[in-house]
Amino acid sequence: MRRPLGRRGATLAGALAVALAGCGADDAGGGVDLSQPVHVDVTAPPPTKLSAYNLFAWDPATGYTFNPTDERVVPYDLNAPLFSDYALKQRAVYLPAGAAATYQPELVFDFPVGTVLLKNFAMAPDLRTPTVGMRLIETRLLVRYPDGWQPLPYVWNADQTDAELAPAGDFQVIAFTDDAGQARTANYLVPQKNQCETCHARKPTPTAAPAIVPIGPKARHLNRTYPFGGAVGTVNQLDRLAALGMLTGAPATATVPAAYDLRALETGGVAAIPPADLDAAARSYLDINCAHCHDPNAVQGITSQLFLGHDNTDLFRLGYCKRPGSAGAGTGGFEFDIVPGSPDTSILYFRLATETVGAMMPLLGRSVTHTKGAALVHAWIAAMPPVDCAAM
Amino acid sequence: MTRTTLTAATLVAALAACGDDNNFPTNSCADVTGTCVQIDGGDVAGLQTTVNTLSPNTTIVLGKGTFAMTNSLTIRAAGVHLIGQGIDATTLDYGPTAAQVNGVDVQGDDFLVQDLTVQDAPKDGIRVEASDGVVFRRIRATWTTPGDSTNGAYGIYPVKSQHVLVEDSRAEHASDAGLYVGQCQHVIVRNNVVTGNVAGLEIENTQYADVYGNTADDNTAGIVAFDLPGNPIVGRDVRLRDNIIKNNNHVNFAPGGTVAKIPSGTGTFAMASRRVEITGNTYQNNNTGDIALISGLVIEPDTTKWELATATIAGTWDDLGLIPGAAPGTVTNYRSEDIVVARNTHMGSGLHPDLADPLQFGVLLILIYATNPVDSVLYDAVGEAMFSSTDPAMNSNTNHICVGGNTGGTFASMNLAEQSASQQVPFFRPAAPFAPFDCTALTGGPIADVVLP
Repeated sequence: MRRPLGRRGATLAGALAVALAGCGADDAGGGVDLSQPVHVDVTAPPPTKLSAYNLFAWDPATGYTFNPTDERVVPYDLNAPLFSDYALKQRAVYLPAGAAATYQPELVFDFPVGTVLLKNFAMAPDLRTPTVGMRLIETRLLVRYPDGWQPLPYVWNADQTDAELAPAGDFQVIAFTDDAGQARTANYLVPQKNQCETCHARKPTPTAAPAIVPIGPKARHLNRTYPFGGAVGTVNQLDRLAALGMLTGAPATATVPAAYDLRALETGGVAAIPPADLDAAARSYLDINCAHCHDPNAVQGITSQLFLGHDNTDLFRLGYCKRPGSAGAGTGGFEFDIVPGSPDTSILYFRLATETVGAMMPLLGRSVTHTKGAALVHAWIAAMPPVDCAAM
Repeated sequence: MTRTTLTAATLVAALAACGDDNNFPTNSCADVTGTCVQIDGGDVAGLQTTVNTLSPNTTIVLGKGTFAMTNSLTIRAAGVHLIGQGIDATTLDYGPTAAQVNGVDVQGDDFLVQDLTVQDAPKDGIRVEASDGVVFRRIRATWTTPGDSTNGAYGIYPVKSQHVLVEDSRAEHASDAGLYVGQCQHVIVRNNVVTGNVAGLEIENTQYADVYGNTADDNTAGIVAFDLPGNPIVGRDVRLRDNIIKNNNHVNFAPGGTVAKIPSGTGTFAMASRRVEITGNTYQNNNTGDIALISGLVIEPDTTKWELATATIAGTWDDLGLIPGAAPGTVTNYRSEDIVVARNTHMGSGLHPDLADPLQFGVLLILIYATNPVDSVLYDAVGEAMFSSTDPAMNSNTNHICVGGNTGGTFASMNLAEQSASQQVPFFRPAAPFAPFDCTALTGGPIADVVLP
């Protein structure tokens, strides 16, 4: 049964405009000009060129320059970043003039219409010298439209001069040397537009319809310093956003919780994590990498009844001696998600560490093993007091 | 109502998928009312761009040919119909896909997929999740490497959805279940063929399912219904009727998980199930046995893992007599109860139980039956108040298991809780009419027809 056409014609025309422009028309107006303000129009179809937003300039020699007009584009970092095949990430948030985000203690901040969250994904031939030969692969935008967030993937061109809207995503085989000097090859997937929901769809309540939400910009992830440079120097990101009038309702930074800062893991490996911090570090890692699905209000992952959010206190649902529902190849032949004291027989560790398609986790965004992250989870499970799950 | 010829044609032109009537011999936008886009066979970029810029209520007609997919076809709009030129004419081939994705991945009400083949998906062939109104018609989900444990898990996979119809389709060579209906409500599965899978056709944690006219041939297990622990949709009202379930003796090639424990040679089992009718089916040459009625304790012996908070349970459940859990405010669903097995035909099964299954169920059967055929219907008697190997009067039928009127059908119950490969309790093997299991009707009346909108 087909429904009458009605207003769908207009929507399709919008898609048509995208499709037509995607065939080569240049609506960017001549590239980025940082003397001009950011341009975000939430009443029009998204531009086909990333430069049309005028958010930042990128130059292999000097790196990123964010639009300084009105200081509305603010770079930031997260205490615990998501792993994406070793991609080098640079995040920033843009808010329209006069608008502010509202602080939330646990969930992502409430951002006003017109907000742009941007994340650049880059790779370098040798991650021990990441700024040498770095190339941008893609820039993902989350743009806050009046009816919700729109995920917009832009893929950078070969000349690294601009990125083009790519609703269909992209697939690239990328060879590189990892931060430990190992040769690796990633089957790097730029998600298609509809795939963004795999990680970004969340139900506001267990019974509500899912909606697209950002993942990173939460108090506990943003509560850290950032080297803004210039006269600002290195200050707390929450304080900086508040000082710019871009964040309201935030309590004193000292009272805001902070996710465990995984920078030490990235620089020194699991050996750099004090034993007393293993639990906090591993839970922080699982939270950012897994809990967008493994959460009671997520869409994907709910079937598993395995909940890996930082605030889950139910050890069974965290995986302790828990049999998976229907993990198939994902079990690796093991029986329990976490066997305390025995990482090498724990499905959770197996799925993080394997590169076998059909078994590996997360579902998207990883084709190679995050060696240091897997080592962290291995050490975390190994440090648990042993339990004989089969005897329980 | 006329179709939007201009818009569709313009969009097709924009996507450089030049129309060619020879490419759309069976189905085309000319047959469709409403918004419709034709994609030439093989035009992957055009297809992906269309799907990712889609308005609701759009029909996508795929031309003849093979689409060499490098990523999932992800549909996130309502009212999308995806129609090819036939299972031998239009193929979405995921052989080139390196990412760990499903072939066709859908969330959107009123979805229809028809007349195409999906092959070699890294994960599931066609997965439709959390959608109301789902039709699979004349499609094939397959893998080109039979018996390979790296094949994807499920071929045809509606999950957490309502009002689902799967008909006239084929599911082949899945390393878990070929046709898997999981956690759905109001489902008709009819006239499909499932072959070469580990589990042919599975109905899991599903309510109101009518499964008929299907053929399950050469799987590890044919057609099964079960609940898994901890799921808030308690399976109920499942009819398995008038199916052909034969030669399900395929070696179990599952890479792991619960399904890897299924003995090869299994026709049907109902596990942790209630209000099930298994009627009018033809069972033939399933080497371990035709029908097993078993509790969920074989896969999860801890009854506390089967506790469900009553406040969280979906749909109607309080008429089911679920027994309370140890924790307050919970019930459990591990028992199989209220099942009718009638008017089935049994031929040639139970002669070679699988001796390799990890549960050692086949070993137990060999020890009990030696070279005699395993009884057509086996019941584990978990939850029964009384069990005796010899005295019918000392057997209870607490779980209301009704068996009778089957052609060539025999019955045994087995007190599974006391059995092991090293110590066997003789089975209770009554002659027809199998008292006290000679009831003929479900408690609460027969299962109603499933009505789809």
